[in-house]
Amino acid sequence: MPRRKKFTTVSIPVQLFEKIKKQIENTGFPSVSSYVGYLLREVLVEAHESGEMPFAREDAEKIRRRLRALGYLR
Amino acid sequence: MTFFVLGIDGASWNVIRPNLKVLKNFARLIQAGKAKEIVLREKPISAAIWCGMFSGKTVEEHGHLEFTKDGKIVKREDIPVKFIWDILKDKIDVRVLNVPFVVPPYSFNVDFRPVGFGLPSNEKEWEEELERVTETTKELLTWKPDLLISVFTLLDRVQHFHWGEPVVLEWYKKLDEKIGELVWDTGFLPSETNKLILISDHGFCSFGEAKVQTLPKRTPYGELKGDHLERAVLITVNVEEEIEQPQDVFRVLEKEFLRTKS
Ligand SMILES: [Zn+2]
Repeated sequence: MPRRKKFTTVSIPVQLFEKIKKQIENTGFPSVSSYVGYLLREVLVEAHESGEMPFAREDAEKIRRRLRALGYLR
Repeated sequence: MTFFVLGIDGASWNVIRPNLKVLKNFARLIQAGKAKEIVLREKPISAAIWCGMFSGKTVEEHGHLEFTKDGKIVKREDIPVKFIWDILKDKIDVRVLNVPFVVPPYSFNVDFRPVGFGLPSNEKEWEEELERVTETTKELLTWKPDLLISVFTLLDRVQHFHWGEPVVLEWYKKLDEKIGELVWDTGFLPSETNKLILISDHGFCSFGEAKVQTLPKRTPYGELKGDHLERAVLITVNVEEEIEQPQDVFRVLEKEFLRTKS
């Protein structure tokens, strides 16, 4: 099996990065990346759990409600 | 040269034609190019039509009919087709914004968060989508990509709730203004080289007027005012090939960017 890269890079504004860095001082998070990763996992439902990436579980319900109101889902 | 495909979900000739005096940018585009009515061979179901338009496949081939299947929201990955942007991405600069074959609508090479999950359902959201799709599309046009595909969904949503009311024309007018900003004010047109396809996935009508009814009259939230019509809008500028069905958009783009022209 080919080795898959486990990490990749996303860009965020430097100011935001600095803010997060401050915020995680004295917490258990070793890095901004690990904290941001944690937050994103909180917000998003992991694909293998729900099959409904890339939006959150509550979003799926909101979408269904909108679809119903528009008559796209009965 | 930029090839710009501007999609307008639910745009309908039966509103545009009688109101060309006030829909000045539609009128100007019709003057500048070719306009016609597409009579859909397939049922006027948005998800299926947009999917066919950019994959070149019939609904039997792509198998994607509705936004949900067995109660689950269908995702891009569930549809086993290559879209035009998948095919062209290594050859040209292609940008895709808010294409509603799935919800939330699909974007490619563009960072865009759809308004109301691509199902904007009130005045505030309609305004917001109008602004955001316009602004993002304008910005993308300044980069002069080879291919830009951009879709407004709001007219369809407005018509679901307000078909038959004067407010529908008001939203057509607002959209008409944005079309002017996108097409003329940016300098995209007039042009000898830039190409434009303005297209809708279906039209709109009162219940009973469509060949097949695709929307329910009532929903758990209230009454719907109209139904999808199997007739869609097409205006092209500087495009020679004929477009008879939504799938022909795929073929025109494929020919433009993949095949060497004789
Ligand atoms: Zn619709």
